[in-house]
Amino acid sequence: MTDENKTGFDVDDLLRRALADDLPADVAGGMRRRIERFRAGATEKSAPAAARAWLFRRSVWAALAVLMLIAGFLLQGARSRSPLADRISELKAAAVNFEAPRS
Amino acid sequence: MAETEKTSTRGRAAMRWLLAAILISAVAASGAFSGLMNKAGLLYLVLGSVAAALMGFRGPEIATAFRQAAGQAGSAESLGRSAHFWEAAARNAWILGALGSALNFTIALGTPSGGIADAGVRMIQSFLVTLYGLVLAVVCLVPAVKLSGKAEKMRLQGDARLAAETETGGPARASFRAVTPDRIAGYVLFAVVLVLTVFLLVAGLPQTGPVPIAKVLLHWPAILVVIGGAIALALFMGDGAGARAWTLGFAMTGFVGLLTGLIQALLGFAHRNIGEIASACAFIISASAFSLLGLVAAAAPLEDREVMDGLRDKPGALSRLFWVVFPLLTFIFLVLTFIMVVLPMTKPGG
Repeated sequence: MTDENKTGFDVDDLLRRALADDLPADVAGGMRRRIERFRAGATEKSAPAAARAWLFRRSVWAALAVLMLIAGFLLQGARSRSPLADRISELKAAAVNFEAPRS
Repeated sequence: MAETEKTSTRGRAAMRWLLAAILISAVAASGAFSGLMNKAGLLYLVLGSVAAALMGFRGPEIATAFRQAAGQAGSAESLGRSAHFWEAAARNAWILGALGSALNFTIALGTPSGGIADAGVRMIQSFLVTLYGLVLAVVCLVPAVKLSGKAEKMRLQGDARLAAETETGGPARASFRAVTPDRIAGYVLFAVVLVLTVFLLVAGLPQTGPVPIAKVLLHWPAILVVIGGAIALALFMGDGAGARAWTLGFAMTGFVGLLTGLIQALLGFAHRNIGEIASACAFIISASAFSLLGLVAAAAPLEDREVMDGLRDKPGALSRLFWVVFPLLTFIFLVLTFIMVVLPMTKPGG
């Protein structure tokens, strides 16, 4: 057995003995606090990344596209005014007047 | 010996193109078809086709396609890619023709005129752009058919390896890059061509109208339906469908828009409601224009790149079907719209 392997066995043995029972309450509390602080830091750092990921999610775009589609149909169904439609109305009315003298 | 034969082939090809150009120039100069002249439409179609080619292909690929159409030899793979270029050019010309008609039609309807008779003449003239597109598509289909036939023959004879060794100038397939200088130039040129065409069409008309032309061209319900529907369909089809999803998305949404508009217009006739008919006509024109714009500027270039980069052998069968059928449907619906606009409505019992 080499010196390096021997050191590894010693550390394993130490860990096994140290973790055989539950940790003392104050040590466990301290560890929990440190873990929470670490988690909070990690969340803070990745907030823009999370926002970016959310923005590029397929479902978001799909929902947006479906909303656009529905809005388009609703607007058309409600016969919302548009300059092109107004111009066509004028021409259509002119076509009626154009035809009138013959009848 | 082989060199002499190659030079002779190129000379014959050049002579054929020269004769065709002389014939077309002579017919144009004779004035026999002066009623069929729409200069702005012709300029739009030629420059728009150049821009559309740049949007989907790289410069060296275009140069090779021209050289091989003029008789240069190449491997079966290279000839196949050049054949695809010419087929795409034909497709672009056809789609651009229909799009030009839709834009021209919108401007004819949306700008002030000397009454229904004047607007009617301008609407009819807008159909000429589709005719130009069809003619240019036929011209581009000639080298496409010729080159694909050559490529097929070489594949059957198993000469592809030999030809690859003797090939001169066929570009190697490059790795897929979404943004290239060619594509940027193509999109910029396309935008310039669209603006220039609208400017040329509006320039000859009296500017006493109540609304700017940009407002006339943007009928928001149709834009929302086409863009929303195309994105939704493309996303639901998933990554596996590739660029085909965008072709199907734009074409299917456009088709839905055309039918919706037609049904609404017919209901307008039944209700004798001019406002309803006008809104439906505006929807038909705008939905067809924006669907064609999506097809030619977004979906088709993406499919072209997939083929040229070797991701697919050829465009999807459904895509090819839509590229042919949708512009034709647009033309038919524009004619129907023309009839609906000029058709006078009689009073009940009158």
